[in-house]
Amino acid sequence: MNNRVRELREGKGWSQGELAERLDVSRQTVNAIETGKYDPSLPLAFKLAKLFRKPIEDLFDPGE
Amino acid sequence: MTRQTAAQYRMRVWLLMAVYVALIFFVWPYAKTAASLPLRALFALLPTVPVIAVVAVMMRHVMRSDELEQRIHMLALGIATAIVCVGSLVGGFLAAAHVIVLGGDVLLWVFPLVCVTYGTSRWWLVRRYGGAGCE
Repeated sequence: MNNRVRELREGKGWSQGELAERLDVSRQTVNAIETGKYDPSLPLAFKLAKLFRKPIEDLFDPGE
Repeated sequence: MTRQTAAQYRMRVWLLMAVYVALIFFVWPYAKTAASLPLRALFALLPTVPVIAVVAVMMRHVMRSDELEQRIHMLALGIATAIVCVGSLVGGFLAAAHVIVLGGDVLLWVFPLVCVTYGTSRWWLVRRYGGAGCE
């Protein structure tokens, strides 16, 4: 699944560590989401959407 | 998970393992020489107390981890369980067929083997998910 988490995070000027802290997850989890190695659960995806004030479909694209 | 707990977790595990090593060196030898059977059983089982405490600390650590960390822990545990189970089955069949001789004390190696395979699997999975190291 493709996502815009890195783009939105950088837009806010946050480091991966800062975003991880806001989401209460590890930096490794943020990195894995950004690089597409891990698709977050629905609650975490909603947490991300709420944090960036975007609809969830703006953040994640199921692709093919 | 509260991020600061990782150091506390490591310290607790090291402390309990130090207690375990101390019991193995200073108490467990009496399990073979103690006069009464209940005392021998007590000395023999005493080292399991810190191990049970380590398992409890590990479980609490996993429960406090975030979703990806929990996934990694569970996958690593699954891989470790599969490897040790298959190894035990192979050893058990060979011993039952008298191809090899295994004493009952071989069971002492099950837990350390699970720990080693779990640690190795976890290290590999963390790298696979783009992490730098194990917590």
